[in-house]
Amino acid sequence: MLERMSSDLSQRKQAAEAILFLEARYLDDKEWDSWAGLYEPDAEYWAPSWLDEYDTADDPNTQVSFIYHNSRSQLQERISRIQSRKSITALPLPRTLHVISNITASEGENDLIVARSNWTTHVFDPRAQKQHLHFGTYEHVLKPSDGQLRIARKKIVIMNDRIPSVLDFYSI
Amino acid sequence: MSVHASINDLVDDRPGDQAFHVARRAFTDPAILDLELSHIFESTWSFVGLTTQIPKPHDYITTFIGRQPILLMRDGQGHVGCFLNTCRHRATIVCPFKRGRQKFHVCRYHGWAYDSAGKNTIVTEMDDGQYPPSFKDADRNLLRVARFENYRGLLFASLSADVPPLSDYLGDAKAFIDLVADQSPVGELEFVPGEITYTFDANWKLQFENGLDYYHFNSTHASYVDILNQRAKSGTSGPLPQEAPDEMEGQGSFSFDHGHAVNWSIKRQSRYGRPLVIDPAYLAELKARVGETRIKWMLRQRNLTIFPNLQIIDISSAQLRTWRPLAVDKTEMTSHCLAPVGESAEARRVRIRNYEDFFNPSGLATSDDNVMYEFCQTGYEAQAGNTFGHLRGLANGPISPSGHAQELGISPVESAFGKPAFGGETNFHPGYREWRRLLQRHVDGGADA
Ligand code: FES
Ligand SMILES: [Fe+2]
Repeated sequence: MLERMSSDLSQRKQAAEAILFLEARYLDDKEWDSWAGLYEPDAEYWAPSWLDEYDTADDPNTQVSFIYHNSRSQLQERISRIQSRKSITALPLPRTLHVISNITASEGENDLIVARSNWTTHVFDPRAQKQHLHFGTYEHVLKPSDGQLRIARKKIVIMNDRIPSVLDFYSI
Repeated sequence: MSVHASINDLVDDRPGDQAFHVARRAFTDPAILDLELSHIFESTWSFVGLTTQIPKPHDYITTFIGRQPILLMRDGQGHVGCFLNTCRHRATIVCPFKRGRQKFHVCRYHGWAYDSAGKNTIVTEMDDGQYPPSFKDADRNLLRVARFENYRGLLFASLSADVPPLSDYLGDAKAFIDLVADQSPVGELEFVPGEITYTFDANWKLQFENGLDYYHFNSTHASYVDILNQRAKSGTSGPLPQEAPDEMEGQGSFSFDHGHAVNWSIKRQSRYGRPLVIDPAYLAELKARVGETRIKWMLRQRNLTIFPNLQIIDISSAQLRTWRPLAVDKTEMTSHCLAPVGESAEARRVRIRNYEDFFNPSGLATSDDNVMYEFCQTGYEAQAGNTFGHLRGLANGPISPSGHAQELGISPVESAFGKPAFGGETNFHPGYREWRRLLQRHVDGGADA
């Protein structure tokens, strides 16, 4: 029994780790369409603001977020803006490097996996020759669908919330 | 060359010759930023907060005016005071938090305490301190700012007493604060919780100008325009307000004394959904209360700049943003989603989504502006002489009457109106005149003293 539980746990953790690392790679490799493909069509993507020194917003309908989307198509809107080469924020696009660690996975309702992790994104802007480090925590809710895991919900807490100039899906 | 002459040279303002230029050095010279901080930011009215941020006794918020730390507190009697956030003992900031509620603020360095009215209540170990007699009678309370006033719940403070009363300072720009505040059935504004702070590596005046610049929209925000068009096609824009068919489409601006100005636009087919039109009952109540003309203005895009560092944008959402320069080429922005107290939950939700969509470094439009400012900052370093950046609209002189001011019962010092692609730049001029006046006032005053 104990063995089965621990093997379930490690399987869940492995599965979560795989999709989190894949997401990071798609972002850093600028494979945006593959990245959006990791999300469920009605996925929630949420980077809350901070209310004060200690607490982040907990209700996107009454409090401000950096980014709040509740469908994959809104992520695709952001992608199309970057790909249009009409947004100066992407001319040139910064180089990014996501590092994810401290992953834990637990079982949610209906076979969902809830994965918590720590992230840092190093961002280098080749135009200004400047680099920034964003960091915080992720909470992914992962859902088995068509024999693979998809992201049903991602909450991104940005610890250093005084933002230099631009913050987009690829920098967090 | 005297400093006076050199400030005068930075703004080449010759209305008779239809010429207006701002020297590149005004954006790049650190010595000019020092003057701006002392003699503009720290010498005139600054927006410091909303009364609704500190609704209860002993509520407080902290902020900055220029470089100087500020503490706003509501005392036990309900009066709001604005103080320098610095201990009278040895300068420590008394309150290190952004916001909260406390009856007393204890300076952690040596333990002096102040109440929420700013009164010094404790000097630790005073009796054993062998203080000179003068100390016992000295006023050791937190220092109040020189001037502190409120207009419609917007709190303004000045570190210099040499300013006109706030109402005179704001002048007819008040009408545009009213157009936001009167959207609330109780006439009050509030910030949606969650303040966003960001920086850009450019001079603050790029933000000042951009808030009054409609010319840049289609170019800088081309990718956002595509998204708006796409949403219109797919029917996901939300409820769009309509202008009456007899309204002439166009873009206009009013400029007021002390450097304030507002841009506005009349488009028959709005591209932006507005929270105000979501709830028909709310809109009907509003119409009955404020009348057809003012509601028409409430539904028009308005970009208000209160010199030197407050902008209120009322469009698909409302934003209140302020800034403070950190260096000649680095500016810190603080952005709030501004909302009428008492709107419906659905209107509030849409207001927040629209705010996030457009504004902030994470929004689909403001992020482009921030990068453009940085491109400008680099470009201003070129020793390339005058720009042609402040000339659109000059051909028509300072007043091009359009009847719009009369609708609001205001008398702007300048007004402009043109076709939808007008993108006038004369509305920056009064800000630069006030900029020059404040800097020269110091230099003249210094020469007299
Ligand atoms: S500096 Fe505040 S008590 Fe000494
Ligand atoms: Fe803009």
